[in-house]
Parts: sequence; C-alpha cells; structure tokens
Amino acid sequence: MKQEDIKHLYWRVGFGILPSELNRLSKKSKKEVVNELFNSSKGITPLKVDTSEIRDAFSEMMGDKLDAKTRMKVQKISRKKQIELNVSWVDRLANSNEILREKMTLFWANHFVCEDNFINYIQKFNNTLRKHALGNFRDFVNAISKEAAMTKYLNTKQNRKTKPNENFARELMELFTLGEGHYTEQDIKESAKAFTGYSHNLRGEFVFRKRAHDYGDKTFFGRTGNFNGEDIVDIILEQKQCATYICEKLYRYFVNETLNKSHVKDMAEVFYKGYDINNLMRFVFMSDWFYDKENIGNKIKSPIEFLVGMKTVVPTNFKKPQQLIYIQRLLGQQLLDPPNVAGWKGGKNWIDSNTIALRLKLPSLLLNNAYISKSLAGQIDAQMDKKKEMFKKTYGKRFSTETDWNYFKARFNDVNIDDIGNYILACPISNEAGAYLNNLEKVSKQEYCVQLMSLPEYQMC
Amino acid sequence: MDRRKFLKQSSLASSLFFVPSFVKAFEQVASASLGYKRLVIVQLSGGNDGLNTIVPFRNDIYYRERPAIAIPKTEVLKLNDEVGLNPSLTPLKRLYDEGYLSIINNVGYPNPVRSHFRSMDIWQTATDSDKFSQSGWLGRYLDNYGKSPYSAIEVDESLSLAMKGETVNAIATKDPRAFHNLSRDPYFKNIQKHKNDAHLSEHNLGYLYKSMIDAHSSAKYIYETSKTVSTTQEYPKNKFGQQLKTTAKFINSGLDTKVFYTSLNGFDTHANQLNTQKRLLKQYADGIEAFVQDLKANGTFKDTLVLTFSEFGRRVKQNASVGTDHGTANNVFIIGENLKKKGFYNNMANLSNLDDNGDLKFEIDFRTIYATVLDKWLEVDDEKVLNKSFSQLDFI
Repeated sequence: MKQEDIKHLYWRVGFGILPSELNRLSKKSKKEVVNELFNSSKGITPLKVDTSEIRDAFSEMMGDKLDAKTRMKVQKISRKKQIELNVSWVDRLANSNEILREKMTLFWANHFVCEDNFINYIQKFNNTLRKHALGNFRDFVNAISKEAAMTKYLNTKQNRKTKPNENFARELMELFTLGEGHYTEQDIKESAKAFTGYSHNLRGEFVFRKRAHDYGDKTFFGRTGNFNGEDIVDIILEQKQCATYICEKLYRYFVNETLNKSHVKDMAEVFYKGYDINNLMRFVFMSDWFYDKENIGNKIKSPIEFLVGMKTVVPTNFKKPQQLIYIQRLLGQQLLDPPNVAGWKGGKNWIDSNTIALRLKLPSLLLNNAYISKSLAGQIDAQMDKKKEMFKKTYGKRFSTETDWNYFKARFNDVNIDDIGNYILACPISNEAGAYLNNLEKVSKQEYCVQLMSLPEYQMC
Repeated sequence: MDRRKFLKQSSLASSLFFVPSFVKAFEQVASASLGYKRLVIVQLSGGNDGLNTIVPFRNDIYYRERPAIAIPKTEVLKLNDEVGLNPSLTPLKRLYDEGYLSIINNVGYPNPVRSHFRSMDIWQTATDSDKFSQSGWLGRYLDNYGKSPYSAIEVDESLSLAMKGETVNAIATKDPRAFHNLSRDPYFKNIQKHKNDAHLSEHNLGYLYKSMIDAHSSAKYIYETSKTVSTTQEYPKNKFGQQLKTTAKFINSGLDTKVFYTSLNGFDTHANQLNTQKRLLKQYADGIEAFVQDLKANGTFKDTLVLTFSEFGRRVKQNASVGTDHGTANNVFIIGENLKKKGFYNNMANLSNLDDNGDLKFEIDFRTIYATVLDKWLEVDDEKVLNKSFSQLDFI
C-alpha cells in the first residue's frame, strides 16, 4: 500500500502514524493493511476507573433508599472520578491497539450524545459505545435506549403511560436515526408510548416497569400494533433514510465534511443490508474514493484529535489532571461534557479567535516551555535555553507537564530531519509558511517538530 | 424610521452610489457621534431563587411554604407596600430608587425543563424547549450583524453557547494581555506574511489562516485599545467584580463591541440557602453598582443596557435541607438610564396558582425580552436572530 494512503488512513482511523509502523505497513497490500486494522480492533477493552469508593458509600447506606447524605457523598466522589475517566479516556485514545474501535467510540460519543453526573452510569454508557462501536446498529440503538444514563438524560425514566414524555422518542429519530424532517409529530407521540416503562435500578441495570408501560395500540409510520421500544427501532431501521443518515454522518467524520452523494449512496446500500457497522467501515476503507486527493488532509482536527495526536508523537502527562480538562474546555471539547444532545458541531465550528490562538500556541506551551525557535539558517539559537528557563520559572506551575522527548527521539532516530514533516503533518505546507521555515535553522529534531506543530497545517488531518 | 436608522441606512446607500467621499465621511461622523448602544448580559448560573430575591413580604403563602428560609418582613428592603428586595441588595435598591432598574416578573418559557444544563441551553439558544440548536442567540446576532469577532466579547476564559453563531463566534477574554501574549510570538506573524488573501477562505486550511490573522489582530486591538484607560472606581475583589471592571474598561475605552457577556455562579441552593444566596446577591449588587458608577463617570451609562437572568427560579416550597429545588419562572432585571418602564414591569406571580410541581407559571416568554432588546436597543431585525417572530415588551 502506498505510504500516502496509509498515512491518510491512519490520520482518520487513528491520530497519525509513527515512522516504523508506516514502514512496516507499506510492505503490505491495501487489503492486508485494512484487515490488520479490523483484526486488531476485534477485542473490546472496557475503560474503567476504580469506583470502589462509590460502592463503599452505598454499602454504608441504611436501607435501599438513597438518602440525602449518601447522595451528596456519591456526587462528590463522582465529580472526582469523572476527571479520572476523562484523563484515562485520553490516555486510551493515545495508547490503544484497538485503534479503530476507539476512534469509532469517539465518533459514537458525539452521535449518541449523553451525559450524567454519576460516574457508574456514564462509565457504563461509555463502554456500551465501545462494545457496539463496530457491531450491529440495531443492537446498538436498543442498548443505548436501555442505558441508565440515557433514560435519565432524555427522560425516558419519566415516560409513563399516564404521563408520556416524548424527549427520547424525539431525539431517537431527530438525532440518532433519521434526521430532522423524516418523521411526523404524530410519530413522536406514538413511539413515545412504546418506550413507556423504560427505567433502571440503582446499579444502572435496565428495568422495564410493566405498570408504567402503555400496552395499547400505537400507529407508527403507517403501521398499527401494540409496539414496544424494540419494535419501534425495527420500523425505524426499515426506513432507508436511517442508513443514509448514519452514512452521511460517518462520511463527514471519516471522509469529508462535504458530502459526495454517490459515495454516500453506495455506503447506504451496504449498510442497509443488515446494519453491520464493521462491514460498512471496511467498505469505506477499501474503496478507492476514500484515498482521493480531495479527501486527504482536508479536515480540521477536533480538539481531542489535536491533543491526542500530539501525545502520540511526544507522550505528555499532566501532573494535575484538572489542567488537561481545563485545556479541553478552552479548546471547546471537554470529553463527557457535551454542550447538549445535539453534540459538538465540529468542522469550522471548532475554530474561533480563542481556539485558533490557543491551538497554535499549545504545542510549544505543553512540549517546549512555550519556545518556538526562530533562528535564521546558519545561526545557532543562543536564546533558547535562557528563554525556556525563564518560562519554566514564571509559568511552570500553570503548565505542569511531563514530556517524554526521548520517546520522540527514538522513534524519529532514522528519519532525516527534513522528512519529519511527512509524519507530523497531514497536508502540504503552504508556500509562504514553507518559505519562512526554509529560512530558519533546523536547530534540532525537537525544535523542528515544535515549529511544525505550531503551524495551522498541524490542525488538519 | 428614526433618525439613527435613517442615517445608518443612508450611509450604506451612499457607499453603493459613489457619493463623494466627503459626504460619506460626514455621515460616518454623524453616526459615530450618536454613540452606539451596548448590551451587557449577566448570567446568574445555578438557578437563582427569585422569590427570595424579590420578596412578596405580605404574602401568607410565601411565609407558609418557606418557614425556615423566608426573609422576615422586617429585614426586607421595601420597594412598595407588597414587595421588597433581599436585604443584601441595598446597592440595587439605590439603582431602583434612581429609576435605573426595571424588574420583569414571571419570565420563563412553555414546557419548562428543570435541568440546569438544558434550561441554560434553552435560554442561551432561545429555542423552544423541545428543540436543540448549536448556535446561540448572540452568536446569530454576530452572524447577521457583527462586523468582527470582537463585536461580542465574553469576559471569561471560554465561550458560552449563547455567543457561538452558525458561522461567526464571539471572543472570550477576561485578560486582554494574556490573550495578546498568546498570539504575539513573531513566529506566527512570519508564517502569515504574504498570505494571499484570495485563498484564505476557500478551504479549511485557508479558513484556519484567516482565523489566525483575525484572532491576532483582534487580540492586539482589544489589548491596545483597552489599555488606554484606567479606572479609579473601586470594584469588589471577587471574580464577578473583576469581570465587570474589565467590561467597564472595554466600554470606556471605546472598544467597538456591542455585546458583553458576564456570569456569576453558585446559585444552586439546594441546602442551607440563606447565607449562600445572601453572599452571592451581595456580590451581584455591589458589582453592578460599581459598574454603573464607573460608566456614569465616563459618560457611557446612557448607552449601556444590562440584562440579568438565571436559567430558572426555584420551587415555592422549601425542601428538607433548608434550601429550594429547581423551579421554573423567574425575574429578569433590566438596568439602564432611560428605561421606559421604571420599577416593576409587571406584577409578582400568583402563589396560589402553581403548576403540578408546585412551581410558578410563566407569564412572559424570555424571548420577547430578547426580541425587544434586539429591535429597540441593538436596532436589528429580531426575527432574523431568533428565527421566529415574538411580540415585544415596552421597557425600553
């Protein structure tokens, strides 16, 4: 497989690729590379933080009912644990062998958008995304509809025969399966009845409350019957629009923000036969059009893609986990804390005056004591050490990171300094920036890497 | 058509028909000398308890439902025979007495949601409670009428959804110097040198370059303009006070910004409400009074309107933890110099006519307030920003 194509594939299914991996894969055929990608994502490794403190708090509780004191205690632990979960998710993204599964999980987290302040539920939800990320979409939708965090978030819990709540039914169709305009208000009302009685117990397990369920006839998409929630999902998936809607979203995420109608149509044909996500993604990565020039290096990285990408080149740990969360917030994407059920808009919407300024400065801030070398060709960088030291003294506490530049040096040992850009950047450097860079001295691989990461080009994947 | 709108529109027309430049210059001066109006939003996050802010001290139901947290009649700062302010709002009382405050009661929206995130979302996006939007109402104002990203500034570290548009986002900065420092590395200037403007918005990379150039010039503009003024006004030494101080600095330096966004957090008083709310309301009132004095001293108060809201009010009945749970309708404060309706805009809620949850029934849709502010204060087409037509109120 061509190196350019492998790189493109790995920017999209992962966060870039390191030189040795690229060399190894370039000896294989496209089919072999894609097969390996799917084989390595066969396993499912749940993401877990230690929640024994919560268990202990519950076991100290008197009786079955959650009392106010326990609730407060659990909330406090939960807040702390959410930070841990966020940090370990970022670590996972940077270090997993199940690359594709993890990237798909990240995608689905912004599709089946949910948040909950109770760590056990949101962790369970996150692992449900991971479990079904490459599975069957029908099973996926049903599993999501029964997640404790989701029944809380979209009020299915409050959806009773006597007092229906349409929130979940509406978003199920508008955001999760069909897209706006492909159903009627009446369809929402009727399907809401089918999801009455969906609830959960304290352990976060699904509970179907028969007495709250509406066993009467519902008329949905022109059909009448005593439908339950799973029947509704079946009828939705019978609509070709469902396959099209999901394929459009996947295309925007993995291929190009601008849709190619005929490619999406081909994808939907594949997907509609059985709603197998694995097959669909294989079809995409095996297609020729995925590797078309117009699809390469043209996407704006999400904040998480940007942060994780840096981490895969230069492993970085925040001594204070809170700082990683803070940076995510400043960049506009705090994992586990979506703006609302519509999720992050993505694309150009990631970028505003604040986020672009921060994105450009962040690589040097986190990895290089805020220093970007500007020594002209032929000159030594006399200021470098002094400036870095000064920054460390003044701002060291605010950007307290451990960076493993040795990791980078080892991986890029055999790479010519002039070729580093091939691995760091997903798109060519614009003429003006390239001309300026050529005027500068390549002080070291590290300094050159920071220069490259400080370009707008580094924001592309 | 009023004089201001006429001047604005005629200057637009003149540029289209190549009117001699001196005429155009005259019109621009005329338009500028009229001053332009600024809107300052204050968001009280967490759901401020409106009933303990504006207290119906003659209402038996109020005292019956809140035996442990009602404000005693003797402590209330009386505004009239029925209603008064929380005792920590003395500075706000002074603004009220001067006719700078308009209180709009029972503001909410149909089918209220009692989740903080969701309800805040609804207030910020101005959508119906069963619809979702990825852009905020002030962001859409920017989309349609903003000249540059700094036409709207959130005086904080990151942007609220309210300030994000479909295509344009506002700027967030609580420290113009830090924002400027972030972008002043000469490296960035050098990579954007000779950038061919024509290519800048064609594709995503071009968009990034364009955004970088905009960001760097905005940061420089905000920093260099705002550093020209210093204030002698004392502000409370808390985060909210500092936000208002920075906002006043921006306004008084003549920064070309129409909308400012600030917030004060911590109003989610489920337990032991009295002291927490008193402390926060004091921060609010002290800050606002200093802000008004600062603007008055600089002649900018007459062109500034302050709108204070919270995502919901709280339940009428107190809970078991000497606090209150999430409720619905709430009061909104409008502060400005030339208010049409000074004091109370409408009556307090009827505490004997509550919804099934024991919450207030809303009377005024908050979007009618937005529509009024957009049309009458910012002088733009409110329907374009709110994607819907709302009837307007008569407070400005």
